[in-house]
Amino acid sequence: MKEFQFTINDPVGIHARPAGLLVKKAAQFRSQITINGNGKSADAKKLIKLMGLGIKQGMEISCQIEGEDEDTACEAMLNFFKENL
Amino acid sequence: MKLFQNIFGKDSGIDIGAPVAGTLISITEVNDPAFSGEILGKGVAVVPSGTQICSPVDGTVSTVFPTGHAAAVTSKEGVEVLIHVGLDTVKLDGKHFTIHASEGQEVKKGDLLLEADMEQIKAEGYDITTPIVICNSDEFSEFHMAEPGAVSQGDNILSLKK
Repeated sequence: MKEFQFTINDPVGIHARPAGLLVKKAAQFRSQITINGNGKSADAKKLIKLMGLGIKQGMEISCQIEGEDEDTACEAMLNFFKENL
Repeated sequence: MKLFQNIFGKDSGIDIGAPVAGTLISITEVNDPAFSGEILGKGVAVVPSGTQICSPVDGTVSTVFPTGHAAAVTSKEGVEVLIHVGLDTVKLDGKHFTIHASEGQEVKKGDLLLEADMEQIKAEGYDITTPIVICNSDEFSEFHMAEPGAVSQGDNILSLKK
């Protein structure tokens, strides 16, 4: 399993546009990808759950990736967060 | 509605009702690429004339955003319907919105979810266009939007088939 922490810089947090893009990115991988934050956790491939976390600017999330392509998935997800959130 | 169902039979699909009265438009006309580009899923939009946002289906409230500007209901058939009141309204941080439902609550089509003071939201410079998006669009093969134009709350705006 791979894991990274990230502090959200985006002023509106994990919301409509970035959340939609995040789900699309996560869906490219076979690995199970879980986002933990704000006291809850969500499958990164499930838009409603992801937005329901209510992750705002300044909050720290952790992202866990588990599966056969976890190395590439972890790198891609971390890059995604850096570029979009 | 009973008559409608009788005419079209069981195969008429899953109907999504207008969460609010207003004008039905295509999602591609929404002035936000996250919605018009269907990044969040397929759907439609209503430019509201009313202020009460009601459940579009019988189902369970899956998410109410703490800011009160959006909610999602999962229908009994498993359709995940997101209602996003206005564009960029997350930035209002709850102002002008009142929450009337909670996560996990069972709702009937037409039950009140949220109220929005549309005049105040418009006065602050926001577009009140309300996209209604099927977040799990991948699980459905057919989407039929109703005729664009005036709709009352509860009118069928979109039909889906698995």
